[in-house]
Amino acid sequence: MAAPAPQPGAIARPPVVAPDAPAAVSGTTPSPSVSVPPTSTNDAAQPTTPAPAAEQPAKTVTAGTPDANDLAAWEAALAADSSQTTAVAANAPQADAGGQPAAATSALNPDISAIADFALAAYSKRHNLQLGAHDPALNGFNFQALELALGAAVDPYFRFDSNIVFNTTEVDVEEAYATTLDLPAQLQVRAGQFLTRFGRANPTHPHTWDYADQPFALTRVFGGEGNRGIGSEISWLSPLPWYVELVASATTAGGAASSRSFYGGSGRSVNGPADLLYVTSIKQFFPLSDAWSLAWGLSGAFGPNAQGKDMRTEVYGTDLYLKWRPLRAGSFQAVSLHAEMLYRRREIPWTTLQDYNSFASLLWRFAQRWSVASRYEWGSAALDDGFHTRPDYLDPQVTAERQRVTASLSHYPTEFSRLRLQGSVDLPKYLPAPIWAGLLSLEIAIGAHGAHAF
Amino acid sequence: MRQCLAIVFVATAMLAPTRAHADLKVIATTADLASVAAEIGGKHASVITLALPTQDPHFVDARPHLALDLARADLLIAVGLELEVGWLPTLQTGSRNGKVLKGARGYLDCSQLIDVLDVPRERVDRSMGDIHPGGNPHYMFDPRRVAKVAAGIAARMAELDPGNTAAYQAGLQHFLGKLESARKRWEQALASLRGQKVVSYHRSLTYFADWLGLTVSTQIEPKPGIPPSPRDLANILSLMKAQGVKLVLQEEWYPANASQMLAEHAGARVVRLPGGPDYDHGKNYFDFMDTLVARLRSAP
Repeated sequence: MAAPAPQPGAIARPPVVAPDAPAAVSGTTPSPSVSVPPTSTNDAAQPTTPAPAAEQPAKTVTAGTPDANDLAAWEAALAADSSQTTAVAANAPQADAGGQPAAATSALNPDISAIADFALAAYSKRHNLQLGAHDPALNGFNFQALELALGAAVDPYFRFDSNIVFNTTEVDVEEAYATTLDLPAQLQVRAGQFLTRFGRANPTHPHTWDYADQPFALTRVFGGEGNRGIGSEISWLSPLPWYVELVASATTAGGAASSRSFYGGSGRSVNGPADLLYVTSIKQFFPLSDAWSLAWGLSGAFGPNAQGKDMRTEVYGTDLYLKWRPLRAGSFQAVSLHAEMLYRRREIPWTTLQDYNSFASLLWRFAQRWSVASRYEWGSAALDDGFHTRPDYLDPQVTAERQRVTASLSHYPTEFSRLRLQGSVDLPKYLPAPIWAGLLSLEIAIGAHGAHAF
Repeated sequence: MRQCLAIVFVATAMLAPTRAHADLKVIATTADLASVAAEIGGKHASVITLALPTQDPHFVDARPHLALDLARADLLIAVGLELEVGWLPTLQTGSRNGKVLKGARGYLDCSQLIDVLDVPRERVDRSMGDIHPGGNPHYMFDPRRVAKVAAGIAARMAELDPGNTAAYQAGLQHFLGKLESARKRWEQALASLRGQKVVSYHRSLTYFADWLGLTVSTQIEPKPGIPPSPRDLANILSLMKAQGVKLVLQEEWYPANASQMLAEHAGARVVRLPGGPDYDHGKNYFDFMDTLVARLRSAP
């Protein structure tokens, strides 16, 4: 806490301000004060700013620039304090003595929300290549997921978020991680089970998707759940004048539905750092204007695969998000383009398999409650070092390229409910006929109002 | 790759010291709050706004560069009452700046400074629309409450930057002086509205009505965040006719076609209110309220 500079003739106490009575602080300014007119309604329970400690060193300190010697002295004093103190109360958040009655103990409950996704699906072929864990893959009615999200600040230093997904037969802790809130040097650490920040689509949940299913690029490269694992992540917000964030994480390399290009379901154990999956990414953002935004990311995932001793897998990706949302009065319009490309290399005995998977999606929100979107996806077969098609040990049937075109129409009665009609045609060259699909999905969300990432 | 990193670090080293250095870096979520804070802070505070005045503050994109602004801030001033709940928490966490988190001294929820209206008396749920459980957050339309907000902002600035306490107090007194005379001017200009019944689009004019003695008969939105159906509009029209409502008020970011039609049928007029001052182009709270008052007076 910085100390106030003594003013000539000023009262020797820190400013204690009752907001409804600014004259109370005019001891430092001899100018005539103007009283705030009373409002017609009840003025009870006005807050006062809590007074800092009484002793004040006589030294001018401005915000954000404390003297280094002073800080060292304070640190020494605090260290002495903490060694003498047996029970130290947590540095509880300072209560904003509020004008509103503080809610009861339930105010300390975490933010809880439940999001349910249901879909009615019709595919022209029963084996429809839908492998995403939340994809409505069955003809007829599908229960995609019930996602229970819990989140809260733990203390002034951490927050905790979790996503627990219920299917009809199982419960899956998709995410459960702590995030640091106030590390120095613009660093942030996440620890626990989380979706890695590879690209833009991977860390998202169905609630923010523009389609009822996920792009096959992620399903094919990482698995039905997308890339996630138990581990730790550090990210750094650079001091550059534009937004540059560097992210690096280390997570478990196993999991058939989350790390299939790595250890996957092989059950390999960790014998050293080389048995972990490392994801790095650089994320940049350019506010081109008030209406135009551009986000661009580069990502890499590096880890072992189970095809032999010291066999490695590398995945490189780039993601682009361009959004136009005019901030004109009375407009709900927005247009966004989201594209990602993934390049995967897997070492296997005698050669290396490589393939490409990509998608591009264009969304137009044309009214307060309506949006349309279309998506094009393309994936190559697995190719060896000489770019000859090779059988893929993970997807033996994929012997040629695959394309899919999807269109969706979404209706949002409110922010908390969504109806979606979706059609797609899947054109895998390794199948004799295209797969047509029609989907109707419903999503509902109850509970706390989540804050959305851009 | 190494070369790229080297370039990044060199660029970082070159750019870091050149940033402007006010004593207090202040971020306000809305343009009206930013303007008030800037008046108080004067040359000792650099103040920027996150939402633009043409933007509905309920629905702001959490564009990442805003987190970058927040990362460098000493003080975050918010409207509160869940107005910014859909976007501000993401930015606060992303900023990695513990100074501006809820509970820290660098976070000022201005709704704590005023008496809040429209506080639900019953247990709320979303069948009532996208309701604000803590009460109505649109208090910046009432200059009396703005005075209290200003006093709270000045106190917090002085707490964070005690060396400039006198300057913040002087800034506050200057602002309050101007506000007091402006308030009288506005009240005089709008004296004819006292006792009038009006319809608003969103439930955002509660404090405005409280200040000027208007009665808000109903909202065009049947529930907060829910657009009206034809049946809703028909009901509102008969209500307007029955009560003799001659004025439809709404912020610029709401659609105006339905309001316009209602007004024509009821023999009323629509006045579109600015959402705040165009702070980024040098306008302040007084310009904003002057525009608002002028629009209310000008239409026949």
